Amino acid sequence: MTGTAIWWPAIWYISRPLQIKKKKEEEKYMRKYKAVALLAALVLVLGVVLSGCGGQGQQAAKEGGKTFVFARSGDAVGLDPANVTDGESLYVTHQIFETLLNYKPADTELVPGLATSWENSKDGKEWTLTLRKGVKFQDGTPFNAQAVKFNFDRWRLQNNPYHVGGNFEYYTSMFGGFPGVIKDVQVVNDNTVKFILTRPLAPFLADLAMPTFGIASPAAVQKYGKDFFKNPVGTGPFTFVSWEKDQKIILKRNDSYWGPKPALSEIVFRTIPDNSARLMELKSGTIDAMIGLNPDDYKTVKNDPNLQVLLRPSMNLGYLAINDQKKPFNDPKVRQAIACAIDKKALIDAFYAGLGKPAKNPLPPSIWGYNDKIQDYPYDPAKAKELLAEAGFPNGFTTTLWAMPVARPYMPQPKEIAQAIQTDLAKVGIKTNIVTYDWATYIAKGENGEHDLYLFGWTGDNGDPDNFLYVLLGKDNTVKGAASNVCFYQNEEVNNLLKQAQSVSDQSKRAALYEQAQEIIHQDEPMVPLVHSMEVVVAKKSVKNLIPHPTGTESFANVDIQQ
Amino acid sequence: MLASETAAPAARTIMPARQYGLWYDAWRRLRQNKIAIAGAVIVLALILAALLAPVLAPHNPLSGNIIDRLQAPSAAHWFGTDSQGRDVLSRIIYGSRISIQVGVISVGIALLIGTLIGAAGGYYGGWVDNVLMRVVDIMLAFPSILLAIAITAMLGPELKNAMIAIGVVNIPFYARIVRSTVLSVKETEYVEAARAIGGNDLRIIFRHVLPNCMAPVIVQTTMGIGTAILDAAGLSFLGLGAQPPTPEWGAMLSDGRSVMQQAPWMMFYPGLAIMLVVLGFNLLGDGLRDALDPRLKQ
Repeated sequence: MTGTAIWWPAIWYISRPLQIKKKKEEEKYMRKYKAVALLAALVLVLGVVLSGCGGQGQQAAKEGGKTFVFARSGDAVGLDPANVTDGESLYVTHQIFETLLNYKPADTELVPGLATSWENSKDGKEWTLTLRKGVKFQDGTPFNAQAVKFNFDRWRLQNNPYHVGGNFEYYTSMFGGFPGVIKDVQVVNDNTVKFILTRPLAPFLADLAMPTFGIASPAAVQKYGKDFFKNPVGTGPFTFVSWEKDQKIILKRNDSYWGPKPALSEIVFRTIPDNSARLMELKSGTIDAMIGLNPDDYKTVKNDPNLQVLLRPSMNLGYLAINDQKKPFNDPKVRQAIACAIDKKALIDAFYAGLGKPAKNPLPPSIWGYNDKIQDYPYDPAKAKELLAEAGFPNGFTTTLWAMPVARPYMPQPKEIAQAIQTDLAKVGIKTNIVTYDWATYIAKGENGEHDLYLFGWTGDNGDPDNFLYVLLGKDNTVKGAASNVCFYQNEEVNNLLKQAQSVSDQSKRAALYEQAQEIIHQDEPMVPLVHSMEVVVAKKSVKNLIPHPTGTESFANVDIQQ
Repeated sequence: MLASETAAPAARTIMPARQYGLWYDAWRRLRQNKIAIAGAVIVLALILAALLAPVLAPHNPLSGNIIDRLQAPSAAHWFGTDSQGRDVLSRIIYGSRISIQVGVISVGIALLIGTLIGAAGGYYGGWVDNVLMRVVDIMLAFPSILLAIAITAMLGPELKNAMIAIGVVNIPFYARIVRSTVLSVKETEYVEAARAIGGNDLRIIFRHVLPNCMAPVIVQTTMGIGTAILDAAGLSFLGLGAQPPTPEWGAMLSDGRSVMQQAPWMMFYPGLAIMLVVLGFNLLGDGLRDALDPRLKQ
């Protein structure tokens, strides 16, 4: 319609001589002008109409094509799943790559993926996996045991020529360093692969199903090297087409996919940083689904007859990481004071539309091993001041508070939440300056320990307590530059408990160890756990089979659009 | 002073009995300009709001209760509350302090450096003028807000740096105005006379040339403050100026953007404040231009 608006002045201008010369000129001329003007107007109108038709025609031209446009607030950091930790990237790689095991669509129960069956040795140190036959990578090369070994060797061996393109953070945090627990990967035959572990690792299978351990095409990794993150090739139902930084990532259906053919012919991941702008696009129909709803919009969206609201089962943690190695935060009293100063309940009511629970442990209550006996530090500014005085800061201090630049399910309005925490902390004398960086820089600086107070969060990857406690608070994960423990909490006792829990296979014994670890963590308060939230996924009513997964990313293989 | 000699003849023809100074004349003309007075009233209101902020503001501008967030305008909160539960009216009143600060400091920077550059270029001419004016041209080649963004990005996002950036991007305007006026003033008889009695360059520039260049500079300064406030609001809107919880109008506008539909007052009132103040300075500037030198009207 804007096209017409632009043309009106032109039409007016062309017909202007008519008005001026009307009295002076002969009728003949008038007719001529009129005819020219009419013709011009006709051409313009036709042009507008035709261009409008063009748009519709293009859509219709994609025969049987269904494009699913999914929008979020930040762009992917990279598309090599082994080298990313952020949900924005993994959402995309989850469609391109597949893992050896999969989770069920709505929970973290394990089902076959690229491996069809698995077997553990008696001592728990050997896993034998049988692989699916007839699977091909999107570049046509075959998927087999050699490919699995190639991927694991790339991740776990620092001297591997293809151990490039990033820090392989997830591998270290799940398997305890390079090479970590996985001592060797052996090819038994084309369809059988054997993992030799240094010690039993209880969450091993659950780890293998994490989207980050998607199996990449060895040929593509060899071909692209460091640039593999821009040229991802896996076995998944969708193939990478193009990536326009901070704009969109386009995937198309993999027609040689081994499984059921997806209903969608194309997926477009769009980056729309502003929450309200994104919702506006959803309402106007230019996108099909989105995450990162402004909690203040929750009510209006729920009442919108054209939209459906899908709630992601809560398996996350939004927290205020405290850099425990830096002064004055190396004193547990200061950390406890901060915990007492923050009104979590008010934060949740105000910025999560009430869709969340105040957190007292780093572990969400939906995961086994959660220690419910722990009493959270109460919201008590007076006590906070007292604790600060005991620590030697009766008048408080000044520090920085880092706010994430993107909205994440555990932190739907980071800037607002940061401001509220800033106000809370100011009440007990801690003055904070809010700082922020672009998402990739924010993560990198956090992993490098450059922050003081750092808003962050975690969405469970595999439903195992290990995935929260060891990843977020294990001492092994405080290596600067690749730290997933951004609190830089280095408690030997906790680290030992967490490692012990990894080696035991009996779940009740593991749970007891995790509960014990949570008690020590609570005493030390290396971070302030803020919230376990439920993420809202909003989609058009016409979108079918979109099931939000508790891990934060879901496959779109079964998603369909029905008018 | 000498300045009166230039404007006096005109005044004399109207009122032969008394001789008025340029400034009195200007004030007389300004008083008759209703629109300019309206502008002056707005500017005065802004200054009063800034001075009396603690008295006028009904609530604490920096902290509120988040339970009271996004409340519509009411008797308790005339302009409503923002997403942190803070009183928007109080924040706007305190925001006037920031705006004045931004206006005065950034224009001060621009005025000081711009005047020196312009005076030096205009008075000495030749290669000095050439070099200085080419530098000014280069600065003018960049869109000012873009240059300001680049400077704040370099210095770090802080209100102080935003003021410096806005000051720097405005230097060329003052430099050009001062230079062009100096070019004409330095050819006058009284400057020649000053030179003839042995006045050195510095004395001539500061005692005789610059005081007679004041009229256009005053006009540009008045309008410049309005523009500077607008630019600072723009930078803060982009997150490059005032940092939370500073009640800066542009930052408030930015905060309100995400809840535009539920809480339009969060954008409306800061927007209105910015508009009014910029309008006030522009009207006053226009009026001053007419009053100080009617020839400039064209």
